[in-house]
Amino acid sequence: MKLKAASKIHYDAGPNMTPLVDIVMVILIFLMLTGTFAVGEHFLRSNLPLTARGGGGAAAPNVPLDEPLEIRVDSQSSEEWLAQVGQWQIRNSRPALAKQLTEMREALNANKTPTEKIQIVINPGRNTKYKHLVAVYEAALEARFQKVGFSTAH
Amino acid sequence: MKGRKMPASTVTHPNVTPLIDIVMCLIIFYMLVARIGVATGADKKIDLPVSFQGVDIKDLGNTVTLNVSAAGENPLVTTLNPSTGATEEVKVVDGARKPLKALLQVLKGQNQNFKVIIRADQDLDYRYLEKVLATCSEAQVRDINFATRLPQAGLGIEPRVQP
Repeated sequence: MKLKAASKIHYDAGPNMTPLVDIVMVILIFLMLTGTFAVGEHFLRSNLPLTARGGGGAAAPNVPLDEPLEIRVDSQSSEEWLAQVGQWQIRNSRPALAKQLTEMREALNANKTPTEKIQIVINPGRNTKYKHLVAVYEAALEARFQKVGFSTAH
Repeated sequence: MKGRKMPASTVTHPNVTPLIDIVMCLIIFYMLVARIGVATGADKKIDLPVSFQGVDIKDLGNTVTLNVSAAGENPLVTTLNPSTGATEEVKVVDGARKPLKALLQVLKGQNQNFKVIIRADQDLDYRYLEKVLATCSEAQVRDINFATRLPQAGLGIEPRVQP
């Protein structure tokens, strides 16, 4: 017996997309499940090793010493910190510390000490919170210092 | 003249072309932005401090991630074990031995340009971090990167200052 439908002309002559859709869906689900995204992380880079307290440390022979500029940092509570640089004390304000450091850098530059020869040494207390150190570190970077490192705790 | 009639179409399935277009776009998006097979050993439970001045590291292949947390009076350091793919503890000091220093020296010997990424909780005291930094210094590792997170938009946090 001849089927009626078989005698009709099929105008949909394109390729069968069903296997392609199946495979593509499998790939999509795999990527969605296994992929991890960059979650807004970034890094503060330091190329200075930990120095002894006071920014001393063992110097390499025949290499001129950088000018150390020490920032003493203490956490007074979980949310409060105090930075002491030279005779200045800055409390809980990264922009104020950055401004102070910028002035000190400009004074050192005017005294013929190039920025690349100045070494910022952050000298934290034993119980100083890491987030406060990051704030001080950032203030030094904002003041355009190029060498920033940590020293042993005071 | 009698005109010929077009035969009735028998196509009954839906048109999947727009679906394929969208799915292909999604696949390309995921392939571009997702990081597949890049296990760094980063402990996602660590609450990183916020910073504005950080930089991105493109090449995570040359890095070793150290997760630092407090455990009594000593830091608890965990890192990825490449052979097992699991994050395992590495002691800073174990009796007379210094396992972390030994690990860093081995990695430094394999690749002079390798970097250390330190991930620590924002409320961690410096006395824990100090021991890890001292170990890095003893192992002659100079390139140390402190992992921080970007400030979230709309929380009233100061904008990033461009150098």
